[in-house]
Amino acid sequence: MIGFIQSVLNILLLPGLAFTLIASILLAGIDRVLVARMQRRVGPPVLQPLYDVLKCLGKETIVPRKANEKVFLLAPAVGLISVLVTAMFLPIGNVSAIRTNADMIVILYLLTLASVTLIVGSAASGSPFAGVGLSREMVAMISYELPLVMVMLTVGFVCGNGLATFSLAKIGAYQAANGPLLLNPVLWPAAIALLFVIPCEVGQQPFDIDEAETEICEGVLAEYSGKPLAQFKMMHNVKMYVMSGLFCALFLNIQTGFFLADILIYCVSCVLVTFVSMSVPHAVTARFRVEQVFKFYWTVVTGCAALSLILVWIGL
Amino acid sequence: MLFDLDKKINEAIDDAASKSLWLYHINAGSCNGCDIEIVAALTPRYDAERLGCKLTGSPRQADIVLVSGPVTLQSRDRLIRTLAQVPEPYCLVTVGSCPCSGNVFKGSYAVCGPVDKYRHVDVSVAGCTPKPEAIMAGIAQAAAILKEKRKGMHE
Ligand code: SF4
Repeated sequence: MIGFIQSVLNILLLPGLAFTLIASILLAGIDRVLVARMQRRVGPPVLQPLYDVLKCLGKETIVPRKANEKVFLLAPAVGLISVLVTAMFLPIGNVSAIRTNADMIVILYLLTLASVTLIVGSAASGSPFAGVGLSREMVAMISYELPLVMVMLTVGFVCGNGLATFSLAKIGAYQAANGPLLLNPVLWPAAIALLFVIPCEVGQQPFDIDEAETEICEGVLAEYSGKPLAQFKMMHNVKMYVMSGLFCALFLNIQTGFFLADILIYCVSCVLVTFVSMSVPHAVTARFRVEQVFKFYWTVVTGCAALSLILVWIGL
Repeated sequence: MLFDLDKKINEAIDDAASKSLWLYHINAGSCNGCDIEIVAALTPRYDAERLGCKLTGSPRQADIVLVSGPVTLQSRDRLIRTLAQVPEPYCLVTVGSCPCSGNVFKGSYAVCGPVDKYRHVDVSVAGCTPKPEAIMAGIAQAAAILKEKRKGMHE
C-alpha cells in the first residue's frame, strides 16, 4: 500500500507532473532572462513563459476553413501529453516516476511523437506557410535523430559492460559507483554532440528553422491560435526541460544519498545545461539556413557522436 | 471552492493578457520610416521584451497589431482581411501620423485612409516618425486596454 501511494506521489508530484510543469516554466524563463542579460538588456520576468501560455488560453481559438478540425485540435494535446510522459522517465538522483528496462527507447519514441504531432498539426491546418515549416521540421528531425541515437547507444555501452543497456536507472547506478560520465574523456565528443542536439530538438533560436517567424510566418504554428497554441507553447517549454534533464540523466547523474541535495544538484545542472546548450547559441548566433543545419548535423555533430561510439566500441 | 478556482484562473488570465504582448506589424503603404522605428523599439537598446513583447509572424498569434502607413488602395483590402484573422481580444495600434490623418500623402488618389474608417483604433501614436520611446508608451497603453477587453469577454 505504501509503495503504491509513493509511486502515485512520484508520478503526480516530485519527479512527475507538478515538478515538470514548474521546472519547465522556470527553465524557459531563466533561458530568456539569460539571453537578455547576455545582450545587455533587462529582459522579461522569469515567469514570462507562464504569462504567454495563460494569455494564449484566454484568446479566441480560430480553426481555418480549410483545416481538418479534429486533427488540428487534437495534435497539440497529443504532443503535450507525450512530452509530459517523457518527463516521467527522467530520474532525479535515483528516483524516477516510472522506470522500465528500456527507458531510453521509450523516450526516443515519445520525443519523436512530439515532433510528429507538430508536423501532423501543421499539415492539418492547410496553410502553405505551415507546409514549408513542416518540410523544414522534417529536415531538422532527420538531422538530429541519428546523433541522438548514437549518443544514447554510446552511454548504454559504457554503462552496460559489454551489453548495451537502455535503462536510465542502470546508467544512474553506474554513475553513482564510478562518478558522472562527464568526467570520462572518451565520452566528451558524445556530450558535445548531445549539447548540439538539444537546441535542434527543442527548436531554439539558431536552429528554429521550422518556425522562423521572419521568413515563413511562424511556419508550423502559422494557423494556430488560442488554446491549441497554448498547448504547443507549453510543449516547447516541457521539451526544453526534458532535453536538459536527459543530458543530466545521461552524463551528470550525481547521487549524494540525500534526496533534497539530489534535487538541488539536478536543478542546478539543468540550468547549466540550458545555459550552455540553448542560451549561449541563441545570444551569439543568428538563425541557420535549412541546408546549413542539415550539413552541420550530418558532419560535425554526427562525427562527434560516432567518434565516441567507436572509441567505446574498441574498448577505451 | 471550485467556483473560486475558476475565478482565480480567470483573474490570472486577465493579468497575463497585459503581460504577454505579441506584436504583429502591418505595413499599409508606409514610407518605411515608421517600420524602422518599430524595429528599433524591439532591439536590445529599447528592449520591448521587458513588457513581454515578442514579434510574431502570424496574425493568428497577435495581441497587438501595429499598423503603419496611410492605407493605400493596394493595401486596403489586405489590411481588412488580415485584421479579420486576428483572434479576440486584440488591440489595434497605429504608428505614425500617416495612419491617423494621411500626413503628407493626404489627398492622393491612391490613399484611402485613415485607418479608423475601417476598424476601431485603440491607441494611435503620433509623430513622423514617432520615437521608439513613444511606440513603447503606446504599447504599454495598449496593454492596459487589452486587460480591460479580456475582462469584458467573460463578464
Ligand atoms: S508617419 Fe512619416 S515616417 Fe511614418 S510612414 Fe508616414 S511619412 Fe513615413
